[in-house]
Amino acid sequence: MHRLLLAAGLLACALPVAGVRAASPPPIVGKDAPDFVLKAIDGTNLRLSEFRGQVVLVNFWARWASDSRQEMPALNRINRTYERAGLVVLGISVDEDLRRAREFADAMKPTYPVMFDTGSQLGHDYQLEKMPMTILVDRSGVIRYAHVGFKRGDDRIFLDHIRQLLRE
Amino acid sequence: MVSRPLHVRSAALGAVLLLAAIAALAAEPSPAGASAAAPPAAPAAAQAATPAATPGATPGATPAADSAAVAGKAPTPAGAPSAPAAGGDATPAPESGSGEFKTLDQEVQGLKKDVIDLNKDLFVLEEELLFPANTQVAVYVSMDVGTFFALDSVTVKIDNKEVKNYLYTAREADALLKGGVQQIYLGNLKVGKHELVAFFTGKGPVERNYRRGATINFEKGVGAKYLELKITDKVPKHQPEFTIKDWE
Repeated sequence: MHRLLLAAGLLACALPVAGVRAASPPPIVGKDAPDFVLKAIDGTNLRLSEFRGQVVLVNFWARWASDSRQEMPALNRINRTYERAGLVVLGISVDEDLRRAREFADAMKPTYPVMFDTGSQLGHDYQLEKMPMTILVDRSGVIRYAHVGFKRGDDRIFLDHIRQLLRE
Repeated sequence: MVSRPLHVRSAALGAVLLLAAIAALAAEPSPAGASAAAPPAAPAAAQAATPAATPGATPGATPAADSAAVAGKAPTPAGAPSAPAAGGDATPAPESGSGEFKTLDQEVQGLKKDVIDLNKDLFVLEEELLFPANTQVAVYVSMDVGTFFALDSVTVKIDNKEVKNYLYTAREADALLKGGVQQIYLGNLKVGKHELVAFFTGKGPVERNYRRGATINFEKGVGAKYLELKITDKVPKHQPEFTIKDWE
């Protein structure tokens, strides 16, 4: 009786999860994260491969993408909470207008490094189609999760994946 | 907006299935009924569990296997002499287990070494094919002292064409200061006269933004050409110095 109830309960819980996962993941998931080096807002240069061994959340954003405005405070919270646990959050602006992107970043007061990419290679490497896009890179440099856009509650999905990767 | 109705629909479906399962149990409490209800739940549960369980299971299993290997290895020297003396049936089993682990470990190590050797050979072959000695040009960067200059980036132009633009992280600049030499560019050039221009940007004395260039005209012969971009301190002038050395 208990087993049956447990199985049915599990099924009830599993179905919504299966429904969410039914959407095919972006093709970049499961591949090695393309390396990059970019200049951060404070003038330092940061290279992705130098964070090997840590879980890295890379957030591509643009000033003109309204979701970015909602996402940055959520990422601030995530960074503050999980920084000590070994999570690295990197924000990458793909705005062509560097000055306005800087102004936007200054206004959002991110607690994590924000970098600027004015070229097109990185967007091509990461198959950026829509903004914002968030990817999670595991400790061995493989992209494990990619998320396009941002709406309320998505930060919880990020947290689930982050916790799982930090446990590995 | 799209995922919410899906959630709701799936949750409702789950609740219906839950009720159906309870009703089936109430109607037919025999083991046959239970086994009939189990199969539809099993694949769904397995599907949901697989992505979460697989990555978690692997690292969990590895340390266990490692500890088993360690545990198997550790008692071997002490346990080996005692085993024949005892003559029991139980003692040889752990020995053979540790032996298996040992041979497996050796095999894995051997395979790893083979892969590394193959990779090295492939790298050499690739370099020989892509950059044959008669056209090869390699440019290196080295830095000495660095009191008056903090390196940020180097841009290399050959015959007025930008071939490399490299941004240095703090770690990389530190590695150069510790005596490291970086191959910044490897390419092909035809025999004849060429010009290389290197631009160095960074922080100069008194934390000022600093950008300097250095030029070299060189003749590419039939052999490989090696050029070194050297950043040194000019102590009397309290300024950095940028030179290009042509290694014949």
